[in-house]
Amino acid sequence: MKRTVLLLLAVLLGAAAAQTNLTLSIGVRGFGPAAEVLIEQCEEDLGVTIEWQRVSDVPGESRALYVTNFSARNPVPDVLAVDVIWPGDFAARGWIAPLDEYFSEDELAAFLPGFAAAAQVDGSTYAIPLYIDGIHLFYRADLLEQYGFEPPRTWEELIDQARTIVDGEGDPDLVGFVSMWAKIEGLFMNYLAFLYGAGGSFFDADGELAFDGPEGVKALQTMVDMLYQERIVPESVLTFRPDDARILFQQGRAVFMMVQDFVLDPLTAADSPVRDSVAFTRVPVFEGAPADAPSTVSGGFLLAVNAHSRHPEEAADLIRCFTSYDAQVTATLVQGKVPVRPSVYDDPRVQSERPVVAELGANFNYALTRPSAQTGTAYPEISEIMQTEISAALLRQKTPEAALRDAATQVRFALP
Amino acid sequence: MRRTHRAGVLLLLPAVAVVLAILVLPVLQTLLLSVARNTTSVLQAFDFAGLANYERLFMTPRFRTAIANTLVFAGVTVPLELVFGIVLALLLNRNLPGRWLVRMAILLPWALPTALNALMWRWMFNTEFGLFNALLQGAGLIEQRINWIGGIPIAMASMMAVSVWKTSSFVALLLLAGLQAIPREVYEAAEVDGANAWSRFWTITLPLLRPAILVALLLRTMDALRAFELPFNLTDGGPLTSTETLSLYAYRVIFQYVNFNLGAAAMVVQFAIIMVVALLYIVTLRRDPYA
Repeated sequence: MKRTVLLLLAVLLGAAAAQTNLTLSIGVRGFGPAAEVLIEQCEEDLGVTIEWQRVSDVPGESRALYVTNFSARNPVPDVLAVDVIWPGDFAARGWIAPLDEYFSEDELAAFLPGFAAAAQVDGSTYAIPLYIDGIHLFYRADLLEQYGFEPPRTWEELIDQARTIVDGEGDPDLVGFVSMWAKIEGLFMNYLAFLYGAGGSFFDADGELAFDGPEGVKALQTMVDMLYQERIVPESVLTFRPDDARILFQQGRAVFMMVQDFVLDPLTAADSPVRDSVAFTRVPVFEGAPADAPSTVSGGFLLAVNAHSRHPEEAADLIRCFTSYDAQVTATLVQGKVPVRPSVYDDPRVQSERPVVAELGANFNYALTRPSAQTGTAYPEISEIMQTEISAALLRQKTPEAALRDAATQVRFALP
Repeated sequence: MRRTHRAGVLLLLPAVAVVLAILVLPVLQTLLLSVARNTTSVLQAFDFAGLANYERLFMTPRFRTAIANTLVFAGVTVPLELVFGIVLALLLNRNLPGRWLVRMAILLPWALPTALNALMWRWMFNTEFGLFNALLQGAGLIEQRINWIGGIPIAMASMMAVSVWKTSSFVALLLLAGLQAIPREVYEAAEVDGANAWSRFWTITLPLLRPAILVALLLRTMDALRAFELPFNLTDGGPLTSTETLSLYAYRVIFQYVNFNLGAAAMVVQFAIIMVVALLYIVTLRRDPYA
């Protein structure tokens, strides 16, 4: 009897020692509920134990954590969720490992190409898409209907509609348009959406800076005019982060709002005053742009392997498990996350339980990412330069032309 | 005698080791990082760059703005805190009924963590649904909502107001201790000589409070020159860089640009500024008029 117990104990210990323990670092709110389900599934499928390192959902905060960890070459976490703007930077610093030997071309082809490109550095893949969370144009369907408007396709229409509705309502608390124009990453995303919608781009086809051309000036001038000439945007928007805009919109005090899709859950919650009147469409373009012109900017997260992980192979398997077709369906059903595999949008379970996800996903056919893969380690500084100069124009400290010219000079200096 | 001396040294060693490890070594590492390039830890590699980081820093307008912001912030808030601190301390020192309640109320701003304070004020300053604009609009004092933390230079003024609100009570506490150390007899003698309250304040209270005032000034100035949590949580250094302090700038350079060397140089400059100010205070403190 005693011997059997000892033998059993030895077997158990042996099994425990043989089982690999992986650490996965992922946000609590951003992907938490889905992660909880998927961790359990993947532990079973892969025969590993997974420790969940719960990190902040504010990208700047979790990034500060990784800067410390990876500078010290910490092998933990094995797998981490990276913001779509990080792979270029992290790969160039040697913090995350290339995944080409673990994932085939066919596997990668299943993901939205524009989004997956953000993790392509020098022809190698450094991260696998997890979910997409980009900018949409939210609007008050009741107000638009009341004034006989269709959802705007162009900025010119949007400005006109906002003016008409705000004037018509005569409510001093109602504003035409809100967004996240504080000096944050979201401001740069906003500017890029205007820029893409004007037919412009950050780099041209030859890889030269192009945002300071006529399209860039038109984009920034429009933002300035919305503030001071059309006066459809309150000046306080220059202190707004996404949730500030969301609160104002949720109180029924804004006609249009341009932020990421995470606001949809609170806006449609049972206690939301606008739950029956909120609708969304893709971000507008400028008049004269082709109907299929890109006009929106995607955010979101991918999964990457720590370059110093002691179990890179198992880590890659964990990523495969988390980003598989079934896993993305699960994440969509559990948390309403928009998957990065377009085929999931047509899945009957998704269609019946979360039809809105397919609508959100359709807008991302017009989405581009930020220029983070091309700029590598310089991206954080470039984004900060852009945020500062765009703010300077929005605060009327500089003309749009001067701000973009100054930005271009500094960006050239910062590029590797 | 000799043996106890040696035992004393031995007993001190652990403490010295701890101080070395957690105080001196990091400072040394920061100094070394500031004269290196592409180095995140001097233990891994060291690529000497001379004063290149300092040169680049002083050529960066944003760094010069951060220095100016830091000096203006400290230069305005510290004197204001001293004035409010003295007034509060004098109030607290009187034998009023319910004094303990007043003391607690005055302590509250200081007891709240700065980050929490900043977030609380961020909401009260909020242009669209903040308390201040609602009160001012309700009273009919303003027509247009005020953009408290979204304009230049009003954001800096708002940030200063929060700082003064929070730390005046700290100054008051330090001064209260000083006040209570002044013997009552001095006041009684002055009263007998016919000195009125005003001259008692100028000729007795202020001179005898001088050491406490200098200590309060020293602590507050050093703290103000290091301000981080308040700008980080209240304004994020904005609009533009109009409320970005040296600490916040160094943090951005290190954690956003991952340039440990440039950030270390910025912190060394900040350290130098604080040391100069501290030395000035200490020299003044030593020159005791009654010594």
